[in-house]
Amino acid sequence: MTDLAQRAETRVKLFNRICFGVLIAFALLWLVPLAWALDTALKPNAETTRTTWAISDPTLDAFSRVLRDTDLLTWFGSSLFISTLTAAGTVLVASLAAYALSRMRFRYRTAVFWVVLAGIMIPGQVLIVPWFREFDALGLLNTWWAVSLPQIPTAIAVFIFKQFFDGLPRELEEVARMDGAGYLRIYRKIIMPLARPAVAAVAIFTFVTSWNDLLWPLLVLSNPDIMTVPVGLATVQGAFGIRYADTMASAILGAIPLVAVFLLFQRHIVEGIAGSGLKG
Amino acid sequence: MTLTRRALLSGTAAAAALGLTGCSGVTPGRDTRGSLDYWNLFGGGDGVRMTQMLDAFRTANPRVTLSAVTLAWGNPYYTKLALATLGDKPPDVAISHLTRMKTLVSSGLLEELRPADLARHGISADLFTPRAWQAGLVEGKAYAIPIDTHPFVMFYNTDICEKAGLLDSSGALAPLDSPEKFTEAMRKAKEASGAYGGVVTINNDTSTPWRIFQSLYSQLGGEVLADEGRRVVLDDAKASQVLTFLQSLTRSGLFPAGSDYQGSIATFANGQAGFYFQGEWEISTFQTAKMPFSMTLFPNVFGGDRYAVQADSHTLVIPRRPDQDQAGLDRSLLLVRSMLDQSKTWAEGGHVPAWLPFRESAEYRAMTPQSNYSAAADAAVYDAEGWYSGSGSNFEIVMGSAVATVLGGQQSPADAISQMRGQLLNLSKTASPI
Amino acid sequence: MTTETVVRPRPATEDGPPPEQRPGTGLPALGFLAPFLVLYLAFIIGPTIYGLVMSFFDTSLVKPGLSGFAGFGNYTEALQSSDFWSSLWHTVWFTVLTTPPLIVLAFVFALLADRAKRGRWFFRLAFFAPYILPSAVVALIWIFIYTPGLGLIETGLLKIGLTSPNWLGDPNWAMPSLALTTIWWTLGFNFVLYLAGLQEIPRDLYEASAMDGASPWQQIRKITIPMLARTTTLVAVLQVIASLKVFDQMYIMTAGGPNFATRSILQYVYDEGFTNFRVGYAAAVSMLFFLVVLMVSAVWFAIVRRQEKGV
Repeated sequence: MTDLAQRAETRVKLFNRICFGVLIAFALLWLVPLAWALDTALKPNAETTRTTWAISDPTLDAFSRVLRDTDLLTWFGSSLFISTLTAAGTVLVASLAAYALSRMRFRYRTAVFWVVLAGIMIPGQVLIVPWFREFDALGLLNTWWAVSLPQIPTAIAVFIFKQFFDGLPRELEEVARMDGAGYLRIYRKIIMPLARPAVAAVAIFTFVTSWNDLLWPLLVLSNPDIMTVPVGLATVQGAFGIRYADTMASAILGAIPLVAVFLLFQRHIVEGIAGSGLKG
Repeated sequence: MTLTRRALLSGTAAAAALGLTGCSGVTPGRDTRGSLDYWNLFGGGDGVRMTQMLDAFRTANPRVTLSAVTLAWGNPYYTKLALATLGDKPPDVAISHLTRMKTLVSSGLLEELRPADLARHGISADLFTPRAWQAGLVEGKAYAIPIDTHPFVMFYNTDICEKAGLLDSSGALAPLDSPEKFTEAMRKAKEASGAYGGVVTINNDTSTPWRIFQSLYSQLGGEVLADEGRRVVLDDAKASQVLTFLQSLTRSGLFPAGSDYQGSIATFANGQAGFYFQGEWEISTFQTAKMPFSMTLFPNVFGGDRYAVQADSHTLVIPRRPDQDQAGLDRSLLLVRSMLDQSKTWAEGGHVPAWLPFRESAEYRAMTPQSNYSAAADAAVYDAEGWYSGSGSNFEIVMGSAVATVLGGQQSPADAISQMRGQLLNLSKTASPI
Repeated sequence: MTTETVVRPRPATEDGPPPEQRPGTGLPALGFLAPFLVLYLAFIIGPTIYGLVMSFFDTSLVKPGLSGFAGFGNYTEALQSSDFWSSLWHTVWFTVLTTPPLIVLAFVFALLADRAKRGRWFFRLAFFAPYILPSAVVALIWIFIYTPGLGLIETGLLKIGLTSPNWLGDPNWAMPSLALTTIWWTLGFNFVLYLAGLQEIPRDLYEASAMDGASPWQQIRKITIPMLARTTTLVAVLQVIASLKVFDQMYIMTAGGPNFATRSILQYVYDEGFTNFRVGYAAAVSMLFFLVVLMVSAVWFAIVRRQEKGV
């Protein structure tokens, strides 16, 4: 009996060890492209046509060239502003709406809810043509507003907030109401502080999505001095000749801000995404 | 070496610009102030020359704040230019290919360049290569100032060609003026290089396959579109002859069957191929690589007495903006004039200058290998007119994609031709949205 | 809709608890809803209707107004256009190439990572880090990796005696190459969803089955996979929709080539609308694409309904 159990246990241990080995192998494989980009960026341009990991003369020249010759720093600023505006705007308008839908009784409440729900089905990508005409008419083409505004009314964010609010206990609100607090006060002082996980999820996810968005910003941001990082990298050309090191350096520099954000808030981001289960 | 050459170049360019602004007294000169946004699509060596020219402009006009931007070449550039103009925030001056400029004009996106305004800056029609100037007129009006003609040319590695016995006693390349001679030269070069005879970009690039096809096809006298793009006049027999020839080059291993833009540059620069076919603008890349090379006219493989080669011209245009005023226009034209005055720098980058005061100078004639192929400007074949045509356009994408499949060996010439025809018919039937 | 909600404090019923019983004028509610609704009408509902209207006109990007009425002209043109069908097919083909690996691999990796006692942060980093990179960065890196003659994959395969195809240059290989890049890029998202799903499975289920002598493999088949059914549905539908909306990779890595082999439906919209200036036609194509997305969503909805009844 014990012998059997022991044998089962060693079998399980062996199985786990194999699993672990396989996983490590794949994880390392997954890191190869990034490592290769870094490796190449550290080579002088001329050395990059020989495909080898060895670097005879490591240098940071490619990075300084990219920072000097491109508008990458400007694009960082642009991306940061747009993503922050979009994330803050989304959290604000979606949580307000969700609060009304969760806590208030009013006519057509169900109808409003379904109209909002329908929005989840409309991918922004099918709206690029009318959006462009609309922002043209508004005279807002080539502005940060044109990128940010259409991304703010996100139906799924309302839905996430509503689900979260529905699950919050009501006792605190009851007490506050006894003290004469209005809706706005309750929203600010009670609901939002309790909803921090939902806020983090929506904010981080909106931020990342907005930072990485390409199609719509590509259409509206025609001037390089207000382009976002992805648009800039995709449209503005670098220097000339054989320049793989420069290209990889710009790729790495373009990735750094979000990777830093990721390393800092790893747990939040992962949980936020797992929790909201939404995708661009 | 590079450094000194570059320093020398920008030095002379700056001097030239200074000198010329000095003598054209009418030109609003050193005290012009304000800001100028300038867009171009120059990567490669062109990017470097353009930067030098802009620096010279900055030195000569210290009170003008010039910001220059280089955007991705082809459709994306023209899409961006059109969208920015529609959004009322266009650049003050922009580069446009001559073959793309007309679509911009009929979309109402460009400012007319009136003779009186041009005259203030010493610019007039008679100072340009007639062919380039005439090709740029729309209903007799000018909207673009051509700065060059840029033909498709042949680069060759002088060491490999020497080793292959392709050079005569004076070091000149024997003419490759028949399919047999061309193939034979590639075969010898392949032996000498140990890898390939020649290389041309096939992957992820539709323009280069189009250029090589168009050059050979025009040598046969073929045309693709008529009636401003409303009719397709593709000649199957001629197209088939060209495509079969092109396919034979990759099929026999004389050319690599799949090389992208950077990759084909690297192949030639590393000495893995004796010949490289591309626009003349890659000259700087190989000069910088310090390799032994020269350039000449794209060979007259099929033409016999008639020579033809694919080409286009870069032009400077002034996009329409709601707040355009005289001062702004003059500022823009100041930059235009400065670009023309720096034709030498631009020619260093391989282009055949359109500005006659320089093109007819002894100084230009003495430039090698640039002057080797200046005749190409007179045999230049521009893309046919049509709202969907021009450099990097849908037309070139349709044609170049099909040619690339033949070069890559994925399609037979006959299939490629029927694909071209089908897609061209679609485009020609579509009512112009402009 | 979002079934696996970690941030949700406790499970809520479908419609949530009954709202406040306080009778109201509805005015405060309007105040709370207004910011969202205004933006929502201005940028989602309004443009949807505008796009629908525009799809019946020969609207040009460079002319003011809607231009001439086209009736169903744009739609018949699209449905008869081989370019439309081939770009739709490319989009579907891309979806077929990416969805199964992105589900299966993410599931397997999450399963393995869930068993690992150490180094979970490392796996999360390795698999999830690519997901947060901008598409442009991913594209630049992978274009280099695929470069003929000096690309990392080609050189690597050559070392073990294999010749590689012309990844991005061969019309037959370009789409699989883009799919491979995409799998590398976005796998982390599904990985994280699965990890979260796995953590919600009660541990005692495993312990009980281990007592009964179940092997790890049996546990996976009998416990893990059934318990993750809803996560899988969610992952699958999100993945299908995300894949259908592909644009970035093609735009940057192949520009829709070689020989149009990788032009997706969104790039077709982009080309027609913003390069050819035919926004009326592009709007019609957008609407047709919208219809496809709606159909996928409808299928998903039906599956979720059935799953909920089954539970």
